[in-house]
Amino acid sequence: MKKIKIIFSSLVFTASLLMSTIAQAENIKIGVSFRMLSDVGYKHGMLIEDTVKMWNSQGGINGKKIDLTLYNDECKSEKGVANATKLAYQDKVHVIIGSSCSSVTLPMVPVITKAGVPQIIPHSTSSKITMTGSEYIFRVPVSSRFYKIVQGKFTAEQQGKKIAYIYVPDQASMVFAKEMMKYMKDEYGVDPVYQVQAGEKETDFRSFLMKAKAANPDVIVLSGLVDETVRMLVQSYEVGIPKSVHRVANSVASKVEVPTNAGKAAVGVVYSAAFAASDTRPIAKKFVKMVKSKYGVTPGHDFSQMQDLLDMLKPALEQVNFTGNLAADRNAVRDSIANIKNFTGLASGPISFCAAGSPECRDGNKTPVMIKYTRGGKNWKTAVAGTVTFKPSDGL
Amino acid sequence: MLLKTKKLMKAFGGLKAINKVDFELPKNEIRGIIGPNGSGKSTFFNLVSGVYDPDPGSYIEFDGHDITEEPPHKVGELGLARTFQLLRLYQDMSVINNVMSGYHTLVPYRFIDAVVGRKKIWDQEKVIKEEMMDLLSFVGLADYAEMNASELSGGQRRLLVLARAIAGKPKLLMLDEPAAGLSPVNVDNLMKILMRLKEKYGLTLIIIEHILKVVMDTCSKVTVLDHGEKIAEGTPSQIKDDNAVIEAYLGKKMDDEEMRKALAV
Amino acid sequence: MEKFKDIIRQYPFLGFIIAFFILMAIPSIFFTDLYQSHLSSLIFINIIVAAGLNIVKGYCGQVTVGHVGLYAVGSYTAGCMFMYLGASLWITLPVAILVTGLFGVAFAIPSFRLEGPYLALATLGGGEAIRLFIENGEFFGSTYGISSISQPELFGITFDTPDKYYYISMPVMLIAIYFSFSVLRSSIGRAFMAVREDPISAAASGINVKKHKMLAFILSAMFAGAAGAVYAHLPPGYIHPNNYTVIEMVTFLAMVVFGGLGHIWGGIIGAVIITIVYDLTRPLYEYQLFIFGLTIVLTILFMPKGIGGFIDKYFIDRRFKKKQAVADK
Repeated sequence: MKKIKIIFSSLVFTASLLMSTIAQAENIKIGVSFRMLSDVGYKHGMLIEDTVKMWNSQGGINGKKIDLTLYNDECKSEKGVANATKLAYQDKVHVIIGSSCSSVTLPMVPVITKAGVPQIIPHSTSSKITMTGSEYIFRVPVSSRFYKIVQGKFTAEQQGKKIAYIYVPDQASMVFAKEMMKYMKDEYGVDPVYQVQAGEKETDFRSFLMKAKAANPDVIVLSGLVDETVRMLVQSYEVGIPKSVHRVANSVASKVEVPTNAGKAAVGVVYSAAFAASDTRPIAKKFVKMVKSKYGVTPGHDFSQMQDLLDMLKPALEQVNFTGNLAADRNAVRDSIANIKNFTGLASGPISFCAAGSPECRDGNKTPVMIKYTRGGKNWKTAVAGTVTFKPSDGL
Repeated sequence: MLLKTKKLMKAFGGLKAINKVDFELPKNEIRGIIGPNGSGKSTFFNLVSGVYDPDPGSYIEFDGHDITEEPPHKVGELGLARTFQLLRLYQDMSVINNVMSGYHTLVPYRFIDAVVGRKKIWDQEKVIKEEMMDLLSFVGLADYAEMNASELSGGQRRLLVLARAIAGKPKLLMLDEPAAGLSPVNVDNLMKILMRLKEKYGLTLIIIEHILKVVMDTCSKVTVLDHGEKIAEGTPSQIKDDNAVIEAYLGKKMDDEEMRKALAV
Repeated sequence: MEKFKDIIRQYPFLGFIIAFFILMAIPSIFFTDLYQSHLSSLIFINIIVAAGLNIVKGYCGQVTVGHVGLYAVGSYTAGCMFMYLGASLWITLPVAILVTGLFGVAFAIPSFRLEGPYLALATLGGGEAIRLFIENGEFFGSTYGISSISQPELFGITFDTPDKYYYISMPVMLIAIYFSFSVLRSSIGRAFMAVREDPISAAASGINVKKHKMLAFILSAMFAGAAGAVYAHLPPGYIHPNNYTVIEMVTFLAMVVFGGLGHIWGGIIGAVIITIVYDLTRPLYEYQLFIFGLTIVLTILFMPKGIGGFIDKYFIDRRFKKKQAVADK
């Protein structure tokens, strides 16, 4: 009899797949697909959960409660696409927040476009995403097309044009290095003195760094994920690349792990990001203090962008008159988000969207900030090296 | 001659496990191979059945084919079946599947038919299964057909191994200690079944056995190996009186009475 | 009922036609949203891979941990053929199957000399090498992935939404299962098992061990290739090397182990249950990997033959009792 029960219960599992979720028409639904693997990934998830909880306790949005559905995509496109499909069709959310990795956000775009669900991106920077021309996609962070210019200009004019590149195969890291190379070629006509793609999850970059050193560059670009960036920085001193050679990292360097783990090696690293923890505005100071006390880390721009996204989303949702017709409501949410003009939050510059589904309209933040580490280790410090605000069409 | 070896040699490092053995076996004979432990009996089987490659200069012929260099499955295909001292049953397969996989070389259909799943396959499979069930009931295992081989008792396992070896309708069956570890009653039973199978399928047999009674009772001729060399060959009664054999087994000469005891005849 | 069973047993093809019509009807009767179709397609793809893995791992006993690499080969054959030639699924599917079959040969060669954990290491290296090769190859789109791979068209219908693509993935899955059943129930399946249980003894029975190992690897590679191609064209048609890591391999292995190694239904049951359970536990993302690890450990400890073995035992026990009842009378 017991065996039958077990077989039966497996059938019930199957049946529950077929069951539809009971729709709750009154509530506003927000879906999140996110890379919640690492320590910091979880904390981003917690930030969303806590914020939405706070909204609900403050009476919701125009009296409506908010349902939050949080899924992990592990930075895998297969999971991301499944999450987007599930959020769009089964959970019937009004708006999707996600994702972290560009390679996951990219295939989510056609899914949410077909389903007609607006999606706001908190982290992905790859310029390809908004170039798909979807009317439903919005990007809070600075697109890689702006980063490359600001980084290229800053490097070429203030640091030097003999540049060596070492990058890892992760999409964002690769795009950063390649776009910068292309920019240097197009604008200044210089080729890299050395360039190499390291292996995935590589731990020893010294052979590459030695070769880079032999090319005698003014600047060395180290583009990787958090761990790789830290290792490359530390190892660059180990192989004896002098301090006078400028070290440039991609926006990953804004994450707390970089200065904490790289220690002294982080000093002098210049990177472009959308938020600086050393920002002196009261709003930024308050935010840094809040994250430090609540989540125990100094926020990089991943945190600030998530916070900005939520702060923008709330008034936008308040503008929407929810009718109960899902498709109409989703379009209304999209139009309301598209109406956001000059939102000034934590980000380095104002965030604006417009109606057309073009990169000019949907790359919200056009103001990257150049940041320099002045102290490494646990009590790291940064200084702003400069900010540039771009025209919407720059870098296309 | 069904099986013929000439100057069969195999050395493991310095040890000559088989040294220049000439062996001839006509059809329909039951041949016993005896010898003290380490005399090279199992090595001889492994060489003939292709598990080991013989040293250069050796020659093995089976049923008119030169099988000196052939891999084991080719030898098996030619109709030379064998059992193993350690049985080597397919533990995790049902009894019927054990026997049916012994039939492998005789399966009539082609691979592509099986992939496409043509109906004639299932008809032929049915015929094979019936035939194998007959074989199983012949050895008395029909009731256990669907059981896992690992669930059988020691005596039943030996019968199953026998049935699996015969399933492929071999011309020559080589048995490596078929009765090891069986009680006298089971040994008798096994030998009876073996004799009936020999008659039914017209088998030629080679038996390695430690229980000399079995060899003396059933074999028409006996080959004796010692230190990898053939030291004697003849009818059981000839072997009993052979001085070399007695020396190999006991290290000294003895009178008739002592020897009869030693060989437990 | 008995008569019906007999007919199915005689003409297994009929069973698949019936299954086809049932599965055809399921979406319109039970499905309430597109996601269920998408999930079904994922289940079907997993079934194809797991059924193939069951051939080489469950039946032939060759411990391969590089299967996900073959799955990647299938996907990228289809993806590249689309990217450079604009080919549709109707062309990429057979080509992917053939190309992956060739890669299967490469995976089979180490199995001639290596066994168990050593073979696992060799194939693991092979699978990872394929992924890293793709990741570092500009030709394959490296970490940009290959995007907007087209959906197939037939009779003027474009299968470009999950609910339509269901009708592509489902028949492919049924055909794959049909082939796997035909092969495994024939003498070849028995030979695979014999090779798994005891290669020396199998060779003595006239079974060519190398040939059958090779065959098992090629067959299962073809399954992986088919699954890969179907996945590549699954809307929105995006493939990325991140989807072919060791974690995916462990998931495939978990399906086969959970469903029952060497059971004809093994991979299929496992793929269905694991994919669905994975989906149901999506909101519990913090505990998901924990749940999975626990499932595998518990399965191996208490159900070493998986669900398939469980069902088998149930039926054999019942048959035995029936026989006993008849004998008692």
